[in-house]
Amino acid sequence: MLQRRLIVLGFLVIIALISIGIGLSVGTVSIPLSNILGVLFGKIPYIRKFVRVGVPDKYFMIIFNLRLPRVLLSILVGSGLAAAGACMQGLFRNPMASPYVVGVSSGSSFGAAVAMLIFPGIFSVPVVAFIFGVITTFLVYRISFKRGKIATETLLLAGIAVGFFFSAITSLLMYTTASGVHRLVFWIMGGFWNSSWARLLTVIPFVGFGIPAIYCFARDLNIMQLGEESAIHLGVEVEQVKKILLIFTSLITASCVSVSGVIGFVGLIIPHITRLLIGTNHRMLIPISTLMGGIFLLWCDTLARTIIAPVELPVGIITACFGAPFFIYLLTKSKRESYA
Amino acid sequence: MLKVKNVSFSLNGKKILQNIDFSLSAGDFLGIVGPNGAGKTTLLRLISGVIYPDEGKILIEGKDTRSFNYRRLALKVAMVPQNTFISFPFTVFDIVLMGRTPYLGRFERERKEDLEKVKEYMDLTGIWHLRNRKITEISGGELQRALIAQALAQDTPILLLDEPTSHLDINHELEIISIISRLNKEKDKAVVLVSHDLNLAARYCRRLILLKEGKIFSQGKVEEVLTARNIRSVYHLNALVKKHPVTGFIYTIPVSIQNGKRSEKRGRIHLIGGGGSASKIMKELIDRGYEVSIGVVNVFDADFETAQIFEVPCVVEAPFSPITHESYQKNMQLINTCQLVILCDVPFGSGNLLNLKAALWALRERGIRVVVHSETSIKKRDYTGGRAEKIFQDLIKEGALLVEKEEEVLSFVKDHFS
Repeated sequence: MLQRRLIVLGFLVIIALISIGIGLSVGTVSIPLSNILGVLFGKIPYIRKFVRVGVPDKYFMIIFNLRLPRVLLSILVGSGLAAAGACMQGLFRNPMASPYVVGVSSGSSFGAAVAMLIFPGIFSVPVVAFIFGVITTFLVYRISFKRGKIATETLLLAGIAVGFFFSAITSLLMYTTASGVHRLVFWIMGGFWNSSWARLLTVIPFVGFGIPAIYCFARDLNIMQLGEESAIHLGVEVEQVKKILLIFTSLITASCVSVSGVIGFVGLIIPHITRLLIGTNHRMLIPISTLMGGIFLLWCDTLARTIIAPVELPVGIITACFGAPFFIYLLTKSKRESYA
Repeated sequence: MLKVKNVSFSLNGKKILQNIDFSLSAGDFLGIVGPNGAGKTTLLRLISGVIYPDEGKILIEGKDTRSFNYRRLALKVAMVPQNTFISFPFTVFDIVLMGRTPYLGRFERERKEDLEKVKEYMDLTGIWHLRNRKITEISGGELQRALIAQALAQDTPILLLDEPTSHLDINHELEIISIISRLNKEKDKAVVLVSHDLNLAARYCRRLILLKEGKIFSQGKVEEVLTARNIRSVYHLNALVKKHPVTGFIYTIPVSIQNGKRSEKRGRIHLIGGGGSASKIMKELIDRGYEVSIGVVNVFDADFETAQIFEVPCVVEAPFSPITHESYQKNMQLINTCQLVILCDVPFGSGNLLNLKAALWALRERGIRVVVHSETSIKKRDYTGGRAEKIFQDLIKEGALLVEKEEEVLSFVKDHFS
């Protein structure tokens, strides 16, 4: 089991590295692979001695300041959303759950709208979006907290209700103010055109710490699939686990949304596809969803910026256009297998 | 080991359990029986620590369940729930392995010992060959055995079972309960079994608790709890309770639903039977709401037992003894106040000839209507060398109604009382 897992993971890591290479090389300006390696390793002390440094400065600029943060950010966001989605689906025992199910996306959108209209700025938008995303989760959590327990069904419904409420207010803001609406619509659609090293660095701690934290609860998530009461009988501290996982998933999700907007589909479909391919064991599901999500979103973003270059498409359109047919194919193929 | 102290529990203002009090020690096998909604499952959930009592305490090894965290409780109590639906396709092996969770730290992997335990209990429950199958693809009975294996793998001193065999074939049911019974004896595991199957509970449990509307109606040894009287009060059911001659276990057979009070204004029907000849008619008459009496029958006779089930007035004679004059008199007293006498299709020997005479007395001296049920001709069931046949012929001559079929008896009764 362990060996198979390592092989699959290793395989995906290699695919991820190749994808990064391709992502860096294609674009309005095509850059050959040798130059990419030159840029990457030319920066590292000691190793740079072995690399022929003959990369033109403009290539260096494009790769190091534009493409590299963008590629890495799309991988991080894809990984974060997919892992959060896998976690939410397990937590709610519902394959329809996604990272946005507790209202993070609507809360963040509202935050972004407020920031754009009231005090626009490069940093104010992500910060306010993040804060509102977390506040929404907390609100939804408080609503469904009764007698020391979180009722999972209430959580789901409260998430939908609060989400609708914030969407309505966001729409109201958009309707009543003429300026900046265009930017907000773009922000909500989601994309990586504003990628920068600064944004990447703000996401890294949440995703980099959040995913391993979720992974630590993989066994509990597995057992909770038997139902909360059975999980209690098997010694899982169900209420604590729910609370901790909600905190981590909402932090991951809010951080992702704050830097890249509301990118749909990844958090719902990638865990699904992973489950169809490798099964329900969360010890496999979480790491493999993470890698698959990262690779998937990287490819989608690469397509989004190259398919009708120099114009960019919002990446959410690409994720849905390519993800949905593939998912339907998998569903029909595995129809005979029982799957909820 | 387990003490349930004066526990009450209500849900949304409705009292589910009231003043439940009992204890369980190592090696006990306790059955909790009772009708639907009596609070059996709630009681198990209280013991397993999923919910806490409103009043009273549940102590496990002397400590209140409230003071345990779930993991420490899972080391003491394992539970096989009633309905588990698993929609995610884990393998059967993984499901059973989950039973070892309370032994593992958060960052710990399963050790060799855990895997061995899992194999041991999967072998024991006969599902080792299913280890790589998906839990969503196996049958209900196999799933139930997997969940039992999971609870056994938890290796707890207390095992709770909620209808553990409801989806099992009878052979698997016997197999599983035998395994649990063996673990109970060999490893001193304390077992609490909730079941709606009285016979299953009677067979394996050493003690029973009979719940009625959230209260303990009766508790104690199986034969003390499972009596016809208790079953009638709790289930509103007339049942036959017997010790099985082959297995030696108490078993119950539901006979009929008790339709509230029997109507007395229509008058009473007296049956003359014996050897089981009156049992069927007695049940039919009682089901139709008639008041019935019977005499004279011997103790342990089939008709005597039927009379016990329905608690009908009955003149009895000592086992295997001829009818004494005294019983004959008592029989006539009962006949004297009845509306109709039914003489059942019973063989006559010198021992019960007085029963035949009583029928004749009723007709001749008291003018009471007599129906004679005679499926077998009197010649074939006369073991008195013609004496019985003579009285029988007199009966017919003097106006007793002779019918061949049971249905005719019943339709006559219906006409007679309408």
